[in-house]
Amino acid sequence: MPRTTTVDIPGCPPLRALTFDVLGLIKVIEAKGAEKAHAQVVERWGEPDSSRGLLASSIIDRELDPLLGVARKNGLVEILSPINGGVQASVSNINQAGTSAEDDAIVGLYLFRRKQLESSSRSCTFLTCTIKGNTIIRSIEVPRSQNDTVNEVTQTTWATSGSGDILCSKVDESENFALFGGKRVEMNLWDLESNTKVWTAKSPAKNSLGIFTPTWFTSTTFLNKDDHRKFVSGTNDHQVRLYDISAQRRPVMSLDFRETPIKALAEDLDGNKIYVGNGSGDLASFDIRTGKLLGSFLGKCSGSIRSIVRHRERPVIASCGLDGYLRIWDIDSRQLLSAVFLKQHLMAVVFDSYFRNEEVAFSSMDLPPEAIRSEEEDIVPAKRKKKSKTRSGSKKHSSGKRNKKSDLE
Amino acid sequence: MGSKREKSGNEGADREGEKFMEPLEKEVLLLPSTIKNKEKRSSIHAKLKHKKKVEKRKRAKAREAAEKRALELGDEPPPKKIPRTIENSREFDETICKPDDEELFAGNDADEFSSVLKQGLPPKILITTCRFNSTRGPAFISDLLSVIPNAHYYKRGTYDLKKIVEYASCKDFTSVIVVHTNRREPDALLIIALPDGPTAHFKLSKVVLRKDIKNHGNPTSHKPELVLKNFTTRLGHRIGRLIQSLFPQDPNFHGRRVVTFHNQRDFIFFRHHRYIFETKESKQADSRGKNIRAGDEKSSEKKVVVRLQECGPRFALKLISLQYGTFDSKGGEYEWVHKPEMDTSRRRFFL
Repeated sequence: MPRTTTVDIPGCPPLRALTFDVLGLIKVIEAKGAEKAHAQVVERWGEPDSSRGLLASSIIDRELDPLLGVARKNGLVEILSPINGGVQASVSNINQAGTSAEDDAIVGLYLFRRKQLESSSRSCTFLTCTIKGNTIIRSIEVPRSQNDTVNEVTQTTWATSGSGDILCSKVDESENFALFGGKRVEMNLWDLESNTKVWTAKSPAKNSLGIFTPTWFTSTTFLNKDDHRKFVSGTNDHQVRLYDISAQRRPVMSLDFRETPIKALAEDLDGNKIYVGNGSGDLASFDIRTGKLLGSFLGKCSGSIRSIVRHRERPVIASCGLDGYLRIWDIDSRQLLSAVFLKQHLMAVVFDSYFRNEEVAFSSMDLPPEAIRSEEEDIVPAKRKKKSKTRSGSKKHSSGKRNKKSDLE
Repeated sequence: MGSKREKSGNEGADREGEKFMEPLEKEVLLLPSTIKNKEKRSSIHAKLKHKKKVEKRKRAKAREAAEKRALELGDEPPPKKIPRTIENSREFDETICKPDDEELFAGNDADEFSSVLKQGLPPKILITTCRFNSTRGPAFISDLLSVIPNAHYYKRGTYDLKKIVEYASCKDFTSVIVVHTNRREPDALLIIALPDGPTAHFKLSKVVLRKDIKNHGNPTSHKPELVLKNFTTRLGHRIGRLIQSLFPQDPNFHGRRVVTFHNQRDFIFFRHHRYIFETKESKQADSRGKNIRAGDEKSSEKKVVVRLQECGPRFALKLISLQYGTFDSKGGEYEWVHKPEMDTSRRRFFL
């Protein structure tokens, strides 16, 4: 029997996400107010222009003065406000040594939360890493108005890799260490204080047939917030590897996942679970302590997953990729909560987790949500009571019958 | 008229029905499939089927009569019912392209095919095969070569496909087509846009070669016109542009050659025709009858009729995957892959 109705997707809790696509558009997606609301595009920043396509993004997710950094295809790094999308500063990443932006695209961008210049509060420090391994940490002073020029204060540059292409980079939570890895580049850890390489991984041994798989890392993430020593990396030959710096240089554990390259990795808040997305649109969660697959996220996801993010408070992750959909999943039931079609190939997604506060303020103006909730709660137990009453009544009735029967007998 | 007869017939049936409809009704109640005796079952089944057929015919007659009467009275004929098909009851799809979508056009300008489609580059196609190729494979390729202008066949040899892609992009080819054969029968088609365009993998079925088509025409070497139909969604649009980039964008209209890619329920049907416009004396007056011939002399004026002749080949394509970038079976990233979990409904289509 053919199904004529579509399966409706349960809505998601109130949240706000920003997606970045190849046409250089930033889209703001919000799920509002009441529970089970559908996520919708509320704003679009920028005009479609493929030369300004977005490559990497980073957000300082805080209540006061949040900042959003984006790296574009033409070598520009822009600092925006994630609330209204206003450009606060833009810096060109192109070196003076005549390399074009296309050859040396930015692969990693990180805005530092803690490093602030003493001289002024309106400054911003960020790290950029290009595909050829040129890593730059820059501090800039954000100009007060549009007309002021960006004032670069400090700049440190070093080359992370000699030969290969850097494809992934990550800065840990304490902001003292950075990880780099890529095609023909083993994972390596750098100390950002002294700008020295602290640790390099060693490629796994040849297998029983004597075949060596060339190094090709595609994604990486630190496992725990307060521990820079453990991290996981995804490789092009569909392996997820767990490294522990304090233990050994070879991976502690490696897991195989499906048959296409691992393209996105994200860790859970407690560091026990990781989320893995691959090139054919499969998304799954692993328990990294045991290396067991917890389950796949099923939801007709058909294009390569480029980015996964975990929400800081709610049990929700968002994934996006080449199929142009932003999908929001529940992490426990692994169910799709909401899917938004955004038309372009998406490169990255970030959550703005302080959105909820605004939302409560908004909703409290017209209707206090707690009042509704309490009403609902009132109704539900009342029903339950009724049920229990009827049940007991029927029991009595039946017992009465039994009595009668027994009388007859 | 018809309705009257129908009514009287019904009444008669009703009157008689009271007597001998009772046993029939009993039989209707018990399903023929529950009867174990085969003879009885088949006879009851036949009876039921006949009854249904009669009813259907009756309904059709009534409809026809109503139409006729409306025509005689000069009324509006009753509206024709639209049959419910799988296509027109398609599940809602938010990815369907809208004509006023500026992001779509901006995306089109930026995509991999725009250099060819804006007539900057003449398309140049490399056709090759899988490693083992025989019988119908080469025949199919020779047909393809006559369909696609500026296509060149290269023997596959023992080269890797990645090497071929590299070679072709060095030699300024704009696309590579790989015909895959299995058991001497072409069964898959791979279209790779160069230098960094997507790779589409199609299942190829229902191949009818030119020589197997009766009364086929032989195409000329003019640049054909291209008809792409029903590529509605975002993915379909992209596939349509991929196919469009195989053909030159400036057809020779006096060649009167048409190549059609028609999408229906996610199957892309390929047809290749020659057409001709002919001026004909209309013979409608003769066919209608002799009694109105006198009044109809004026209508037998010259009319333009289009005739089609199929040139072949004929085949159907079904998209299996669309890969981002050129062919890479191991480290490739997919824009779209067909997965069994996506087949939730017969009314869900992707192109």
